[in-house]
Amino acid sequence: MAQPSSFVVDTRPIWILLLQSVRQPLLLATGAAIYFAVRSVGPPVDLDPAGHRALAVFALCVFYWVFDVLPLMITSILAIILLPLTGVLPAKEAYALFGSEAVFFILGAFILAAAMMKSGLSARLALMILSRFGHEPISLLRGIFVLNATMSFFMSEHAVAAMTFPILVELIAALHLPASRDSYGRALFLAMAWGSTIGGVATLLGGARAPLALGILREVTGDSYSFTEWAALNVPLTLSLSVAAWIVLRTFFPIGVLDVSKAEQAVEERLMKIGRMTLQERLVAGVMIATIACWIVLGESFGLANIALAAVVVLFAIGAVQWRDVEGYVNWGLILMYGGAISLGSALHKSGAATWLADQTIASWASGPVTVILLITASAVLLTEMMSNSAAVAILMPLSIAVAGQFDIDPRLMAPLVAVPAGLSFILPIGTPANAMAYSSGYLKVSHLIIPGLILHLTALVIFNLLVWFYWPLLGVAS
Amino acid sequence: MSPNPGFLKLDLAIRGIVVDDSLRGRNDLFHAPTVRGPVARSVELVLPGEVLVSAPVDEAFTTDSPYSLLQEADRFYLQAGDERAEVQIVGAPGYYAKKTRSGLPMWRIGSSYGPYLAINPASRCAFSAKGSQCQFCDASTQGVDRDEPIPVEDVVDTVRAAFAEGAIDFVYLHIGYVDSEDSGVRFLEPYVRAIKRHFDTLVAVQLQPPRDNRWIDYIYAIGVDALSYSIQIHDEEILKSLCVGRVEQVGRQRYYDALAHAAQIFPNGTVWSDLIVGLEPTESTIAGVDSLVDMGVLPVLSVFRPLGDTDLRDHPMPDTAEVAPVFAHMFERVREAGININWVRDLSFAVTPFEARYFSDPDAAVSGALGPLYRSRLGNLAVRNLSRLRRRLRVRQVNDSFGSSNL
Ligand code: SF4
Repeated sequence: MAQPSSFVVDTRPIWILLLQSVRQPLLLATGAAIYFAVRSVGPPVDLDPAGHRALAVFALCVFYWVFDVLPLMITSILAIILLPLTGVLPAKEAYALFGSEAVFFILGAFILAAAMMKSGLSARLALMILSRFGHEPISLLRGIFVLNATMSFFMSEHAVAAMTFPILVELIAALHLPASRDSYGRALFLAMAWGSTIGGVATLLGGARAPLALGILREVTGDSYSFTEWAALNVPLTLSLSVAAWIVLRTFFPIGVLDVSKAEQAVEERLMKIGRMTLQERLVAGVMIATIACWIVLGESFGLANIALAAVVVLFAIGAVQWRDVEGYVNWGLILMYGGAISLGSALHKSGAATWLADQTIASWASGPVTVILLITASAVLLTEMMSNSAAVAILMPLSIAVAGQFDIDPRLMAPLVAVPAGLSFILPIGTPANAMAYSSGYLKVSHLIIPGLILHLTALVIFNLLVWFYWPLLGVAS
Repeated sequence: MSPNPGFLKLDLAIRGIVVDDSLRGRNDLFHAPTVRGPVARSVELVLPGEVLVSAPVDEAFTTDSPYSLLQEADRFYLQAGDERAEVQIVGAPGYYAKKTRSGLPMWRIGSSYGPYLAINPASRCAFSAKGSQCQFCDASTQGVDRDEPIPVEDVVDTVRAAFAEGAIDFVYLHIGYVDSEDSGVRFLEPYVRAIKRHFDTLVAVQLQPPRDNRWIDYIYAIGVDALSYSIQIHDEEILKSLCVGRVEQVGRQRYYDALAHAAQIFPNGTVWSDLIVGLEPTESTIAGVDSLVDMGVLPVLSVFRPLGDTDLRDHPMPDTAEVAPVFAHMFERVREAGININWVRDLSFAVTPFEARYFSDPDAAVSGALGPLYRSRLGNLAVRNLSRLRRRLRVRQVNDSFGSSNL
């Protein structure tokens, strides 16, 4: 049976709701009109007809992604249908791109995360970290941050936030913090959201946008990154941003609570309830450790997706998970979304549309590699605050690779250059589900986050650009 | 006899009707007390102006009534002194004689009052179980108390039979007090859902306020179109003395708070609260009307009836001339506040602001101009569809699965 909290009644004036209800058909029609408008003007002289048609499909998808007209994955499916229909790519090729290694890597990562959640291993880790940290208000806050950041190294940041959220709600209920005005409550939810966001950019497991960027990179250039290379590039960013976020948190959200013993008690009670580690948890933990080791050692020769899927097979073979356990945890929609986005990215590149579009936009605004990099990172940060970070990657990656070609920048650089800032959303609920969850707690309003979020964004941009210019070249990734 | 149908309704409700001996045995004409406790054996009449009234015929006070009911050929007349007016009798509907699939007589399940089919599916009111029932209520002695609630299927059978013979337009579910956080919302949910699934109709619900306003949102979300929490008596002391359960187990203020919230959630004019005229001073009833109207709630005035099985059986009846200004005041206030009077109306056992217009408006036809439209088939269809559209626009299902949160 549904719960009373499962419904909300929107009491805004009915005309606003009516307008809202016609929003989708209007936007659908506008997207179609944009598509036909682009088609009707005829191809520019420096773009061949296939590129022109690819551009029209891209314009339609960008519009639908940005305005959330259709679910992200349905727009991706639309792209896959339109590419062969408009003759940009043969159907066989469009669908083949769907089988990209990145898509299967994401699938494997989802199933591994599902096994961690379902077995109770992730919750145990979370509670253990909290029981170690949570004796004082400040250490509990730090514990939440560290917990989310470190766990996002190993599983999707969204899954981490989804797992921590109910624990946090329980702790806050134990502390009786009033929802509307408590600064400590706000800080705790922010530590969850910012911790998982910042931790999520460190490895390829933290968010599926990094594999998506790699998928597009591989389809277009044949290049990629190993698990270790990616982590080596980004862990310093995570560490320095963690320090920055901590300072911002402590500055803007003073702690008015003196005693967190009730929360500590709640954690202990939970730990008591789950008892000692089960065989299933041990098996999942063993497979996870082995998988990460394989990604580090064998990633390049064996392939990240292969290792992920092999780990999945092992999990099932040893009976650590059942299919029905993981089925509900795998975000199948996201997998569809990525398949379509990779096909579209590849079609834009092959048809020359990406180069043409890059010429008209970033290339014409930028004066050299420095401005290219600044423009790309700033656009990624901006876009990701306004839309899903996967959509931001899907839009920016094809363009960025094309721009790289024009400015003699190594196209490999573009994958982290787009994917990492696209994962850094600190203000709006739409940017990432971790933010959305923090807002849903009722402790936060956008106004609480504008200044601290902007400061963190600027700091992130500066640190990221410094790393790109001074640290990444040390690892052989240079413009 | 007053030519004003509003006054006539009020006077009939207060004084009742003397029934001609030749008509006394005609059970097809009279509505026995089945479901709605506070209504005793009465006759349902349609007065001039299509005004419905449920007039008492059995209670002792009716013997002094100046009104009598006569039949000539196949026509019925209301006679007072030398004056007479033709009236129509809404006889007992045919489905009363039928049985549900489980063998329950349908008259035990649902009673027709004008266009409403009133059903109380609950087993008993928790106030009476705790000995704190409202003193004017005879629900516990008039067959409402049963061991088990009425099964949903039996309710559906009864609604189907009532619709099949065109006896009703709307379904009105009402229960007494349920001692739980939701005050019976959960209990009513399967009935509401089943009725909505099987019939294209509007469902009104009357129950006691829940402890948490989220249940008010919830009852709207599941398909209830009109809602009532009836405070019955505005005066705090009198309420406490006559309805100890309402005060002690729910709290007087909770009625008003819940009504205020419901008025924000439900369409204009679909949240109502009954006030009983005749149990408190008229100024107090007027103050009650004002409080309700100020929060956008439609007051509905019912006339106190001293039922034989209750502690108030000897309580004096109100005087028509004395209480008439309350009805006029109600109409004026509701009109000023712009509350829609067309949704909740045509109640034979109470006076709604729609009928109260006769007490105030010299040209009552003007203020009731939209009445026939709402009553027509087309109007009814439009109202049902508008209600559905409004619910679709306003109600959102909260889906906190992170699959939907814009990954
Ligand atoms: S709430 Fe009062 S009036 Fe209603 S059934 Fe219970 S005792 Fe009777």
